[in-house]
Amino acid sequence: MRSKLNYLISISLNRKIKTKWFVAANVILCLIIIGLINIDSIITAFGGDFNQTQKVYVIDNTEHSFDLFKEQLKISSQAVNQSEESSYELIKYDKTIEDAKKMLEEEEKNLSMVVVFDKSEENVLDVQVITKEYMDMIDTQLVNNAINNTKVALAIYESDISMEDINKIYSPANIERVYLDEDKNSQDENMEIIMTTVFPIIILPFFMLSIFLIQMIGAEVNDEKTTRGMEIIISNVSPKTHFFAKVIAGNLFVLLQGLLLVIFGSLGLFIRKLIGNNNIVNGITNEVGSMISDLLKNGFGDKLIYIVPLTLLLMILTFIAYSLLAGILASMTTNIEDFQQLQTPIMIISLVGYYLAMMAGVFEGATFIKVLSYVPFISAILCPSLLVLGQIGIIDVFVSMILIIITNYLLIKYGLRIYKVGILNYSSAGLWKKMFKALKN
Amino acid sequence: MLKVENVTKYYGDFLAVDKLSFTVKPGEIFGLLGVNGAGKTTTFRMIMGLLDSDSGSVTLNGKPIDYSQTDYIGFLTEERSLLTKMTVREQCLFFGTLKGMSREKIIERLQYLLDKFEIPEYIDKKIKELSKGNQQKIQFITAVLNEPKLLILDEPFAGLDPFNVEMFKKEIIEMAEKGSMIIFSTHRMDHVELFCKKLVVLLRGKTVISGYLSDIKEQYRKKNILIKADITKKKLEKIDGVTEVIEKADEFEVKIEDKNKVKNVFDVISKTKNVTKFVVEEPSLNEIFIAKVGENYEK
Repeated sequence: MRSKLNYLISISLNRKIKTKWFVAANVILCLIIIGLINIDSIITAFGGDFNQTQKVYVIDNTEHSFDLFKEQLKISSQAVNQSEESSYELIKYDKTIEDAKKMLEEEEKNLSMVVVFDKSEENVLDVQVITKEYMDMIDTQLVNNAINNTKVALAIYESDISMEDINKIYSPANIERVYLDEDKNSQDENMEIIMTTVFPIIILPFFMLSIFLIQMIGAEVNDEKTTRGMEIIISNVSPKTHFFAKVIAGNLFVLLQGLLLVIFGSLGLFIRKLIGNNNIVNGITNEVGSMISDLLKNGFGDKLIYIVPLTLLLMILTFIAYSLLAGILASMTTNIEDFQQLQTPIMIISLVGYYLAMMAGVFEGATFIKVLSYVPFISAILCPSLLVLGQIGIIDVFVSMILIIITNYLLIKYGLRIYKVGILNYSSAGLWKKMFKALKN
Repeated sequence: MLKVENVTKYYGDFLAVDKLSFTVKPGEIFGLLGVNGAGKTTTFRMIMGLLDSDSGSVTLNGKPIDYSQTDYIGFLTEERSLLTKMTVREQCLFFGTLKGMSREKIIERLQYLLDKFEIPEYIDKKIKELSKGNQQKIQFITAVLNEPKLLILDEPFAGLDPFNVEMFKKEIIEMAEKGSMIIFSTHRMDHVELFCKKLVVLLRGKTVISGYLSDIKEQYRKKNILIKADITKKKLEKIDGVTEVIEKADEFEVKIEDKNKVKNVFDVISKTKNVTKFVVEEPSLNEIFIAKVGENYEK
């Protein structure tokens, strides 16, 4: 019987893997993942004005605004780009506004702007920002921010405070964090902010793979049922063997698919390293990169030693739970359409876990989320998130594992009874009655 | 020997099979007959272990049928039970391996059977691309691939043209001659008469006819007499024991209520001129079936 189990597993896997659609889907996935990791290089490869310094011509009718504005724009630009370099070149413009407008109109590209500072009796400073076309969002925010700070700085300066003192006022304060709880440290605090952004990206493949798993088992069982091939199969192997073959094949498939996703990701990173990664596009890529380096700097590497194995173990146990449940539900349905309706609640449960994992950082210490992290099916998503954030300990993860093992045992014990009756049932009439009767037997 | 003993099956309150008993010995072809919903498929499923009976037992060579014996059983279901996305080769390898056969043996048997059924070119065709009749051939091939000791055929001739029915019949008879026990169900009584020695007729799960075909016909008292003579239909109808007279192109078919009444008809005919035919025939199984099932339907 063991050789028949192995054979059924290999047949299920081959039916999924040895298809042109599996190859095609993975080629597309590979291209998308590599593309996403190298999105900045792809964007720059198509050309654009990414590396050009923005020229800011300043007409200063107040004497001191130019220097103050230059300093403020430099501070803002460095904060956003996380670089010592400023992406703005400030030029003091001595001609009239009309000359400046004419100069902008003659420019081919929208790379310059003119900022005019005038004294105001009522408002300290009146400012005009002149550009040929629209400014992009980041430029608008940076320039507006620098102008507002310049206004405050000018007001302070006019109150007989030296330029040196003004710079001291604007420099960031030295903050020393003190934690009365000895278990708390600044690393965890930083990690909390970082994980809120990074974790959903890490957990997304798990969510995707659990959906693959449910759909694969549902489709296979229903295919065998609707073609009545099931009668011949079950007349040769026991429903138990058939059930385990589907569960094992499904899990092997998602593990293989997961491994492929890791390979695609690694390939993307390798290509990124190979092409030198000239990070030109500011924003998401920069942020994620710096967050990952911050994570490693903050001792995340040490935590990975136990977080990765625990997370993987919990995920495998959860995959098994999903596959057992999918097998049982598929045996109860008579066609794939019915199964698709039944699988929707499972997907929603998984989705709830995903959103709660994202919100865990925001609602720190929420009892509701902590309790849900023990609940099988979503614990694999919530537990690692809460563990990284320091909201639960390793013992809590072990409790979640024990609960999912108990769930899997119950699914096998009682689910198998339903499966035995369900796979040879072709009518939805009196379905629940039949299933409850099967449970009692 | 297959022994089905007092097997009863309920679906909820519905009695599907009631105390059914029969035996099939090696080399025998056994017919399980009945109208739709009579309990034939339920009986097959119980024999195959796909359903548990509520009482009674099914044994093969003295042992209850379990998964240690299924490698020696062939099963053809009433509906198509093929995985239509597979090719013929893949399908046979799949079902053959589940029967414990080696890959080499499966391919060897498959090629032999495809040649025999005159469809060797379909070996790498997807099942869904085949016609209904050819799908039925493939289904039959998967059932006999392992040269089963017990072959169960649920409506094997459904969807087949007369030419292919002949092919199937030849193969079934050949397998019985080699010692296989064969049980099959059909609506076609002529098929049963052709190769079944024993049969059971079910009606709403209950056995209405059971035993050897020859005994059943013998026990059935009614007979048919074919007559060619100078006589009128009215005169024949007046004879004591005659239940019906059917006037055909150049002869009469006279149905009598009991074989003892043959003498009454003979006495009348012997006094008639130009008698060229007087043949007493056994009734067909179809007649017995309709008569018995009809009687029980009314009950």
